Amino acid sequence: MLDICIFVTSVLFFPARRKLKVCQTRASFWESIRSGFLKNNTTQVIEPPSTNQEEEEPLPEEFVLVEKTLADGAIEQIIFSSGGDVDVYDLQALCDKVGWPRRPLSKLSAALKNSYMVATLHSLRKSPGEERNEQKKLIGMARATSDHAFNATIWDVLVDPSYQGQGLGKALVEKTIRALLQRDIGNITLFADSQVVEFYRNLGFEPDPEGIKGMFWHPRY
Amino acid sequence: MAVAPATVQRFADKLKWGASRKRSNGPIAAAAGGARKPPLPPIFISTNPSHINLHELRDLYSSSNISCHRFPNVDADGRVEPVDIHKLRIALRHSSVVVSVFCRPYDNDDCTAKSSPMMGLGDILQRAIPVTPSNGQLVGFGRAVSDQGLTASIYDIMVMPSLRRMGIGRMIVKRIVRILTSRDIFDIAALCAENERLFFQACGFGDDILGSTTMMYTRMVSSYPASDQMVKCAGRRVLLAPSLRQPFAS
Repeated sequence: MLDICIFVTSVLFFPARRKLKVCQTRASFWESIRSGFLKNNTTQVIEPPSTNQEEEEPLPEEFVLVEKTLADGAIEQIIFSSGGDVDVYDLQALCDKVGWPRRPLSKLSAALKNSYMVATLHSLRKSPGEERNEQKKLIGMARATSDHAFNATIWDVLVDPSYQGQGLGKALVEKTIRALLQRDIGNITLFADSQVVEFYRNLGFEPDPEGIKGMFWHPRY
Repeated sequence: MAVAPATVQRFADKLKWGASRKRSNGPIAAAAGGARKPPLPPIFISTNPSHINLHELRDLYSSSNISCHRFPNVDADGRVEPVDIHKLRIALRHSSVVVSVFCRPYDNDDCTAKSSPMMGLGDILQRAIPVTPSNGQLVGFGRAVSDQGLTASIYDIMVMPSLRRMGIGRMIVKRIVRILTSRDIFDIAALCAENERLFFQACGFGDDILGSTTMMYTRMVSSYPASDQMVKCAGRRVLLAPSLRQPFAS
């Protein structure tokens, strides 16, 4: 309403073009002051700056999930991490290994950055006597997007084929679910290919519960 | 007067008059029409989250009987529990696209009640002022969560009951999809119950072309939960979290 009043007075009492410019400057001046106070410029929700409680992201965890001694005396550790530290090139190589279609690296990178949680498995191989020569390889990943309050969707769960069958995928998904439930995010969804429906059923997922289905946008040309 | 055309011009892209409706005086046509569907009142569509008053939004959730939980607690009258306003604030902050629709309060009333064809000068002047988020009432809403790269999920599409079946819901979904596709995101999902399926079909959604199965985590507490198990309430469901795995030995 205030905008309109300023506008009306400007048109009626002053040469239109010049005063219009000043009005617009004034409007944007107040906008910039207001946005300066808000924490995040892109999402302006009218409320005081949030407390730490609400902004708490899941604490990144890192621990050894499996440790085994290989035939040549080397030790291989499989390290779980939820810190989201993924090299996009490694991820693309892993996606190639499982046979997924290639996706643009910039999009992959953006998707990882804006996911609520990215859980990874790396294999760390330490040869005996060569303590400094550690081979670290990405062998699994799972990520989830969420609105941080109610809904979450798990995307892109994958494990290197040579490491499958050991319960690693299960560990990735279970950790993700646990992290989500810890934040009271109760609607955990995923869209499973037909061959992995049983895998997720064993993890506690139910297909189309109470008739709820996912629908996807079909572009109309 | 120089005022009216200029202000209409400024808001031209935000004001919607309904695609197939004539640009006539809404209530008068409605009173005369009889069996015809009432024309869409002037509305303002915003994609700016700061236009939303959280309390108004929570009321809209309640009047649309939508809970953010997929399996909400429902009372004897079939009403769902009101949405937690703090969680709603967090959810909005982390939604990539937020669409809100505003309408002037008396336009909304006109749609529900029969109005007399006689309008006073005051009414005419009031109708000349375009609807804005500050003078309007929140009547529609929708949001989407995205990873800003590959995928997006649409949630909580709602329109005030008195203004349904006028195309507002479709406008909201179309706006969300347009924004997402302009950001190069084409993998857009929407979780819907049986009764929402037709609506989303009309908005251009369909089954997954890759044939995936939608699954949700529904593992519940068994009769004898162990003391170290984490249990969380999600609406009327009580979910059991997977137990902490011990690092397994070789």
